[in-house]
This record gives sequence, C-alpha cells and structure tokens, in this order.
Amino acid sequence: MLKLQILIFFLAIGCTKKSSDDTSIKTESASEEVSSLATGTLPKNLKWLTNDKDPLFADPDAKKGGEYQDFLMSFPLTLRVVGPDSNHGYRGHILDNFMSLVGIHPNTENVIPEIATHWAYGEDKKTMYYKINPAARWSDGKPITADDFLFTLEFYRSKHIIAPWYNNHYTETVENVIKYDDHTISVSLTRPKPDLHLYANIAPFPKHYYGKIDDDFTKKYNWEIVPNSGPYIIQNIKKGKSYEIVRHKDWWAKDMHYYKNRFNVDTFKYKVIRSIDNAYVYFLKGQLDTFGIVYPQYWHEKTKGGDFAKGYINKLWFYNDAPRGAYGFYLNLAHPHLRDQNVRLGIAHALNVDKVSKTLLRGDYERQSQHYDGYGKYTNTKITARPFDLDKANEYFNKAGWTTRGPDGIRVKDGKKLSFEITYGAKHITERLAIIKEEAKRAGLELKLKILDSGAAFKNGLEKKHEISLTAWSTSLRPDYWQHYHSENANKTQTNNWSNVADKELDALIMKERESIDEKERIPLSHEIQQKLHDLSVFIPTWSIPYFREAYWRWWRLPKIPATRLSGTAFSPFDMSTGGLFWFDQDRYDETKAAMKSGKTFPETVDIVTTFRVKAGN
Amino acid sequence: MWLNPLTLKKLKRFRAIKRGYYSFVILASMVFLSLFAELFINSRALVVKYNDKFYFPTFGAIIPGTEFGLDYEYETRYRLLKEKFKEEGGKNWLIMPLVPYNAYESISREGIYPPYPPSFEFKNYFGTDTSGRDILARLVYGFRIAIWFSIVLTTLTYVVGIAIGCMMGYWAGTFDIVMQRIIEIWSNVPFLYVIMIISSVLVPNFGMLLAIMVFFGWHGMTFYMRASTYREKSREYVLAAQSLGASPVRIIFRHILPNSISIIVTFVPFAIASGITSLTALDYLGFGLPPPTPSWGELLEQGTSNMQAVWIVSSVVSMMVVVLTMVTFIGEAIREAFDPKKFSIYQ
Repeated sequence: MLKLQILIFFLAIGCTKKSSDDTSIKTESASEEVSSLATGTLPKNLKWLTNDKDPLFADPDAKKGGEYQDFLMSFPLTLRVVGPDSNHGYRGHILDNFMSLVGIHPNTENVIPEIATHWAYGEDKKTMYYKINPAARWSDGKPITADDFLFTLEFYRSKHIIAPWYNNHYTETVENVIKYDDHTISVSLTRPKPDLHLYANIAPFPKHYYGKIDDDFTKKYNWEIVPNSGPYIIQNIKKGKSYEIVRHKDWWAKDMHYYKNRFNVDTFKYKVIRSIDNAYVYFLKGQLDTFGIVYPQYWHEKTKGGDFAKGYINKLWFYNDAPRGAYGFYLNLAHPHLRDQNVRLGIAHALNVDKVSKTLLRGDYERQSQHYDGYGKYTNTKITARPFDLDKANEYFNKAGWTTRGPDGIRVKDGKKLSFEITYGAKHITERLAIIKEEAKRAGLELKLKILDSGAAFKNGLEKKHEISLTAWSTSLRPDYWQHYHSENANKTQTNNWSNVADKELDALIMKERESIDEKERIPLSHEIQQKLHDLSVFIPTWSIPYFREAYWRWWRLPKIPATRLSGTAFSPFDMSTGGLFWFDQDRYDETKAAMKSGKTFPETVDIVTTFRVKAGN
Repeated sequence: MWLNPLTLKKLKRFRAIKRGYYSFVILASMVFLSLFAELFINSRALVVKYNDKFYFPTFGAIIPGTEFGLDYEYETRYRLLKEKFKEEGGKNWLIMPLVPYNAYESISREGIYPPYPPSFEFKNYFGTDTSGRDILARLVYGFRIAIWFSIVLTTLTYVVGIAIGCMMGYWAGTFDIVMQRIIEIWSNVPFLYVIMIISSVLVPNFGMLLAIMVFFGWHGMTFYMRASTYREKSREYVLAAQSLGASPVRIIFRHILPNSISIIVTFVPFAIASGITSLTALDYLGFGLPPPTPSWGELLEQGTSNMQAVWIVSSVVSMMVVVLTMVTFIGEAIREAFDPKKFSIYQ
C-alpha cells in the first residue's frame, strides 16, 4: 500500500489543474408546438439589406502560412457538436467552422453577411428572410442550398441526436424555416423578439452528408469529420493525444469583404497537456506559440526577465468591451436566515471583495457593480456594488436581530450561528475566499468554504441545494432577467433562478420587459429591474476582467489594433466574428531564431491597448 | 517493570541504534510540542496587561476589542494593540508569541503583493504564501493535523486489521476463505480515486475523511496477521495452552499477539509515513480537508505553481523530507531491533 500511495502521489504532482470561472446554461420559455418545413411565396415589399460599409479590422499585410502549436487540457470525448459529451471546452474548434447566415461586426455590432448575402426583416417582427450566397460551398465542394437549412431544423428537432436543449429550442423558439427557392429562405420565431438577427439565425449542417438521422446518430458520428462551411477543418486525429486543424486552401469566402486577410495560419496543432503549469513550461521552451497570462501572478511575476526581457516573447494587454458574465455570490432565499433582507444587506457589506482585489489580484481586476454589467444602454450605471463596511454590516445584522456574539466572535440568535456555506467549483478561487472568510469574521459572520468539482457545484446550484453559491454565468448580447429572477423559476430544480427570488413586483417588470420589443420602453424597464435587484441584494457582485493578457513569440504578428471590441483573445483561431487576425512572419521567425543562437536581443515589448477601454463603473 | 526481558532487550537494542533513536526523540518532541503550537505561533497575545488586569487570550473564547478600549466588537488585533500600547507608553503591555501570526490571516503590505519573501523584520521567517498567510504557521499547524490524522488513522486501521487477521488465522476454515476473497476484492478498489470521487461530491471534514480512509484501508494488515497467527497457532506452546483449556481470547491476547508484535511494530512507522503522504496527496489535488485548513499538500500545490516564489516550495519540501526521513530511520531501527537474528548473512 505504501508503494502504491507514493506512486500515486508522484503521479499526482504531474496532474491537471483545470480552472474555469465560467459555467453556462440556457432555458427557454414554453409555447405550443407548431408545424415546420414548408415552401411558400415570398412576401412583397421586402426591404433587402446588406452591409459592406463597416470598417475592416484585419491587417492588409497579413500573409498566409505557418504552423501554430496549442494545447488541450483534456481530449474531447467526441467530435459531434450535439448530443452526449459534446459540450466540452473544445467544441468551438469544430463548431466555429460552421458559418451562420449572418454574423455580428465585432466593433460596431451591426449585422454582416456570412452565408447570406442579403437579409430582410418581416413585418410580423418574428421572421427574417435571407438570400444565400450562390458561391457558398461545403468543404467537399458541394453547394450550400436552402435544403441544408431545412435539414438543419429537422436535425435539431430529431430525438435521435439526444440533445433536449436543442430539441426544445428549435421547436419552442424557432417556429419554422421556409424555402422559396434554392437560395432564398426565411426563418421564423414563435413570437416577436427584439434583435431578431441574433435569434432567427441558423448555422447549417450538410444534408448530403448526413442523409437521414437515425437512432445510431450518437454512435455513428463520434469520430466522423463532417464537411463544413468555415475556413478550417479538423484532421489527423490521434485519439487521446492530438489533432490538427487545417486551412481550406480554397475556402469559398476567403476573398469576401469581411474575411479578407483573415484566417491566415495553415495548420493549428493541438496536443494534450494536462496541467497549466506544464503548458507554461512548454511555452517558454517555444513548443507552444502563445499563452494566456491574465492571472496577476503570470503577468507580473512569471513573465519577467528571460526571453521576455530579451524581446523574444512579447506581451499584450488588451482592453475589450463585451457583456460580462455575472460573477458573484448568489444568496439562496430558501434558506431561512437569508430570507431576511437585512441579513442579505449585512452580508453584502461584510464581504471584503476589495481586499482580495487589492492584495491577491494586485488591483488588476475591477469590481462588478451588479448582475447586468456591460450591456451598454441596458445597464443602469447608477448602481454600484456595496462596499465592505463593518459599521453598515453591524447595523443591518443588528436590525435583523443578530445582536449578540458567541465565544468565537460569530453572531448568534436563538442558539443558531450566523453561518453560511459558500459553494464553488474552481480551485484557484479558494485563496480569494480564504481572505473573504477571515474578513467576514470581523462582522461576526462565519463562512464555510465548500469546494466541489465544477460539475458537482453546478448541479448543486441547479438543485438549489446551496446556501450561497459563487458562480459565473455566461452571457448573451442582451440582459435576460426571466431565467434568473422570475418567480416561475424559483423554488424548483433545474432552473437558473439560483437566488429563488419570487417577488410579484419584480415579476411584473420582468414580464413587461420580456414582452416589449420597443427599445425605448425596454431600456428604462431594464434600469428599473436592475435597481430592484440591487435593493433586494440577492446577488453580490465580485470581480470582472475587462481585458485579456497574452504572451506570444515575436514571430507572430497582429494588426495595429490587435483585436476587436468583442474579442476574448487576440489569438482566436476560427471565430467568424472576431477570429483569425494574426499571422506567421517567416522573416521574423528566422531573425529571432538566429538572434537566440547568437545572443542578440530585441527591445522588450509590452503593448497595452486601450482603444476599447470603458471607464470603470460603466 | 511489567515488560518481559526479551522486549526490554529489544528496546535496548533500539536505543543503541543512534540514528533511529534520535530521530524518534526529535519526532516525538515535535509531535508533543505541536500540541501547544498556539503558544509559539499565534496571532493572539500570550499575556496582556491592561489597566492592571491580566489577560491570557491564547486559549478559549475571543476577547472583543472593546475589552481593551478599542472601538470594535470583533476579536482584538493584538499586533496593532501592541503598537498602540507602545505609542501610549503607559503601564499597559502585552507579549506576542515568537511568530505573531495564525495560519489563516492574510497579511497585506502597502505597495507590494504577496507572496512575501522570508523576513525577520516582519517575523515571517519562512515568508508568506500567495494569499499572504505565514508559511511557518501553516507548516506547523499543517504538521499537527497531518501527524495526528496519520496516528489516529494507523491506530484505527491496525485495530480493525489485526482483529480480523487474527480471527482469520485462528479460526481458519470457511471464515478464512470468505474473508480472503472479500479482502482481495476490497484491496482492488482504487482507494485514492474513491476518496476523490466522494470528496468531489461532498466536502469531508477530519472525522469523515478518517472514516473513509479506514473503510478502504483496513485490510492492509490482515494478511500479515493471518499468516503470523497461523504460524504461531501450530506451535507447541499454543497447543499446550489449548490443552490446558485456555479460551481463544486468552490464547490470542496472551500468546499469539505478543509473539507477533514485531511484525506490527515494524510496520507502524511506515504506515504513519504513508498516512501523511496520502493526506498530502489528497490536499495537493484539492480533495482533502476543506480549505482554508492549513495543509502541506495545499502549500506544495502553491509552491509548484509558483516556482518564482521559491521559499514556498522549498520550505514545504524540506519539511516533508525531514519528517519522512526521520520516520524511515525510526522504522529501520525498529526493524533491526526487533529482528531475532542479530546478524544476517546473505549468500
């Protein structure tokens, strides 16, 4: 037993540390089922739109070629993009290479063409019409036609794909797809929605490849490479070890307005490296080309001196401006003590989020002001997070009747301690919570840290078993209040109302906002809802990172403005909206390699780009 | 003296093996001292004299700041109080322990960020970790938890393992065969993985982790005890005892166990070392005791991912090496002392 344990122990040292601040889930409303697949006649008076006027963001000097080495924390369990095991971190490597009808310009947020050249909004405010680009081709050379879109709807509705969310979304949100001719279609939703182009939009799958979807779908397509419409396709799969993603040399859209000079790298090589620490060593040795260094320890400590000082590796700090996931503490109102608003307000003033920011995070992270930060006009900028304030915490706790302190300094009432469990699912958060826990003691509040595996932590929240949960939600372009705060989703499992808020007034506001399609009405309603949520103090916001930071070997080149407003990284390889801006510079590669041999150095390069920076509190 | 002369002889031999003996003395005193770690490493003062009244805050309930004329109700911050007393220059004074930090509080200093390097000025003799907590404090409290965890774990697994092993050897027959099969199956359960699975769903505390580890680790000693019981059982002195009408309990406790003691004793130090490494491994992977409990595994994890702050990894690794080497020395010495053959000739 001893030998075994020592062996396991040493194996363990080389093991993975996977961190994720992010979990996501979506729910949609119910409505009656409706018929689908049809052909019809195009309404008259359609106003066809297109967009080739928005500024370009790729660099005209970009060259094609080169190889880019990157790593996977774990190997995907399947190449399918729907069905069991498909929702893994690297699904984007495949899914991003399936283009949609239209996309979003990452700087202006205007609609831009992808597979469709033109689009039109229907009068019913729930239908969009599209003209498919006749040049659009699958990677096997077959044309993309209206039939592929009809097929895709059928595909997503099929029980055989074993993907209930898609089944549900494509019956209850998307009503139907209508084919007018081979290159003209419409997509309708079940009810009117603002920003229609975000919802009545489909990324098609090839009908000629799949044929009919049968009950063997999930098995049959586990490791099949499906013809796609995007710039790259996966190849050379060594299961459990590595794969490559290779550029289509004659991608049909390569000379289109918004895609020119983008998607330059020939081959992306991915191999499994199970630990961030090991991956960083690979990077320093030049076996990985870029590395995310957003954590303060990386940016300030680990990337000093060495090849950074010699200018072989460059650093980039880029401020972006995208809606941010709400990252913070969700207080579960089903807990008898948390039901008291004064207790919640007391807790909000007893969590020293700022101390963590100032010490551990080196003042690099900003405090989120509320749940709905970063939604532009939709965000109520008058709201700011409640600061750590012991006097106020005392006042609120006393008001709630928690006036006496026990021998350990924790408040007691009726023989019960003022003590809550914080559930979370990411190991690197522990050190932050450790500080918050110690500080909260001063307010007479005890916090117990309960770290679970990220899946278990998420499940725990969905089942509403938490007392306080520290979670981040992924986000969409517009705030969605219904799923998080409507009483319809309170006190039942598998919904996203993790605070179990059930407030009649709030319900009314949310429904009003949800049903309105007029921006002028929705914005003030949004502000009102946010104020109400702030007053209820059911969510205590924590940190947001309004930027990304990366290190890269100097032979990788970026445009003058290295990324876009909505970018999450400057080295996004496939994303149709923000990706593929960087390129490999052979001359610089040779120059750098020679310099490394001869000991010649270059000036240290640290770029801080604030083009899209938003002032704090906005 | 109630020990029999043979045992005394063995102990004498153990004392004669200097390396093992001194390791034992040092380790035993470390374990003993760790029980009173609060007196050496603590953020609470040892003695406070305030307005002609003495306070001893080390153990017991917290003393709120209001008690010393401060304006807060939470626990007195003694380091600040000390400075305040100094500034006032009155009759009030207090004595802080050698290391005036506990294992949980994170220290922040203006302008620089943790981890702070070792410093005599601030009395962070081993530096701080990435959250600004004193490493020496975390090492010592982590040691206390790990060693006591390991001692209790070893005791429990041995009680269960020895009992079942003796029963198997003594009763033999069907019971033996059935238990053998059960143990074979049980020993194939990948024990660390099971703990990981359990603790990813619920967060174990000290007692629960102990229970889980005993539940999956009790079989370690059974087969040794079974074999040794079999061997002793067929000896004449056991037959003699049986023919005199001694009960099985008496035979096992008075005759068989004392003659098998050398096997048990030889394994103990290694079992303790293995208990420490298991707990450290689990904490390293984040499946051990709930944070922010001080632990070597957690420090090791921080150290390996923050190699630039070399004082973290070096202090925890040296501490582990020292403790585990001492345990090994003790184990070696015990084995040698309890070996009936004084000299072995290998051919």
